[in-house]
Amino acid sequence: MTRRLGNGLERGQAPRIALLVAAIAAIFAVDTVTNYAIAAAVFYVAVILLATRWMRPRSVVILASACGTLTVISFTLTHSGLYEVGIINTGISLVAIAVTTYLSLKLVAAEAAIHDARERLTRIARVTSLGELTASIAHEVNQPLAAVMTSAGACRRWLATDPPNIEKAERAAERIAAEASRASEVIARVRGLASGKSPIRAAFDLGTLVEEIVGLARGQIDRNDILLRLYLPEDLPRVFGDRVQIGQVIGNLLLNAIDAVMADPARGHEIEVIASLTQDGSSVALEVADSGIGFREQEAERLFDAFWTTKQDGIGLGLTISRAIVEANGGRIWAEESELDGAALLFTLPVAPVDGEEETGA
Amino acid sequence: MTDPESPIVYIVDDDGAVREALEDLLSSVALGSRSFASVQEFVGAAHADAPSCLVLDVRMPGHSGMAFLAHMAEGSIALPTVMITGHGDIAMSVRAMKDGAIEFLTKPFRDQDLLDAVNRGIEIDRARRATAAETRHVRQLWEALSPGEREVARLVVRGLLNKQVAAELGLSEITVKVRRGNMMRKMEARTLPDLVRAFDRIHA
Repeated sequence: MTRRLGNGLERGQAPRIALLVAAIAAIFAVDTVTNYAIAAAVFYVAVILLATRWMRPRSVVILASACGTLTVISFTLTHSGLYEVGIINTGISLVAIAVTTYLSLKLVAAEAAIHDARERLTRIARVTSLGELTASIAHEVNQPLAAVMTSAGACRRWLATDPPNIEKAERAAERIAAEASRASEVIARVRGLASGKSPIRAAFDLGTLVEEIVGLARGQIDRNDILLRLYLPEDLPRVFGDRVQIGQVIGNLLLNAIDAVMADPARGHEIEVIASLTQDGSSVALEVADSGIGFREQEAERLFDAFWTTKQDGIGLGLTISRAIVEANGGRIWAEESELDGAALLFTLPVAPVDGEEETGA
Repeated sequence: MTDPESPIVYIVDDDGAVREALEDLLSSVALGSRSFASVQEFVGAAHADAPSCLVLDVRMPGHSGMAFLAHMAEGSIALPTVMITGHGDIAMSVRAMKDGAIEFLTKPFRDQDLLDAVNRGIEIDRARRATAAETRHVRQLWEALSPGEREVARLVVRGLLNKQVAAELGLSEITVKVRRGNMMRKMEARTLPDLVRAFDRIHA
């Protein structure tokens, strides 16, 4: 998709600019040389219409102002014909230029919006009315269920041996219990998301939570040879929020970072998690930065849109949900380019009020 | 076990709990296994010289199981493979079977289904290994023949009589008989069909 937000001149722009300048010069010359009755300036409209196809909106506005200015200059330089006619014609030209500029820019924006909407629709259609979401959830649930059923088979077989291997059977049974509760946790989590439950907020230490979540992802991090650095100052104040929900956000950001780092083996495998107090001291910010593939500048705002993803098999809900959670907990979440040359996702949470007191914001 | 080569099952799944459960299930039926958290780990590990079967998860970070299966289909590693997946569809299972998977199971699968598939895989691999060993053996026998014996063997398997072989090679019938006797003994072939079968193996 070519968006009109690209920076600088694209290749192949130069001849177009030359054409526009030549057209403007010609119109200016004709407008100046001919008398007041001939409103050649109206033809600037054609130049503007062309320019909206080729240039960024801001450049089009500058160009339109230039055309307007030239129209007025032409008027002052022309000395033949009826002055009143000249005034009226110049007025008409200026209005035509302004209206054309306004309408054509609107049109371009509308076209871009249609394009975006269609793209999003395609994605949603591809998700086929939550089909893929269900598949994703099914995968999450089926994983522990597979472990449960397999362990149950093993357990039965250990008991059927002669003599029964009680110790092995017991261990299999323990695994069954653990995996069953893992499956039910997944379901609880999904239900929590679906019901949009309001968070249960309390004071907690963000650093400890980060360490717990990192512990859960440790296997994946080590397996993929990722260098993970944690900067979690001990003297940070406790934050106020729903610990379980924030844990999900951190987990999501961390897994995104791992995916981003793994997506291109040629890049460095580094992830940094940095906690810090914001400047005004009212919040704690957590940054998850990676050396992965990152995102383009114009994508920054779309990262949080539902069903928008850069991952091949993602469904584009992780960051949408993360934002909903962070905002429900009184924080903010945004994306930046990271110093590791990849993406950095940051969110803030308010600092917890001092024990037993009302939230003072300090 | 009656077989001196005890089989080994390789498990590649990124989920630790699934790996552990599979290892335990296999060990409960006295099957040895080794598990890996990723395709990369599996490829990097040394593989035992024993009949084997691979249990491969479809969806994993890094190399996906499906991609690895396709890679195996065109490459040098040829292990009978049982694919397992958390969410599969028909298209995916068709593709897996086309790429040579012997079974495609959707999690959670019945333990017996997995064991059946794994055992079938091991039998396939055992047969493949036996064939390969046999071929190796016949080739060694063939290489131990003298050039003259090889010439005789080539004509004999084409159905020529000793007399015809002698005429073809410009030798006496006695010489042909002697060479043929030696050749048959060295090739461990008692009858002409035995020899033809051995010949097929190395010249197929």
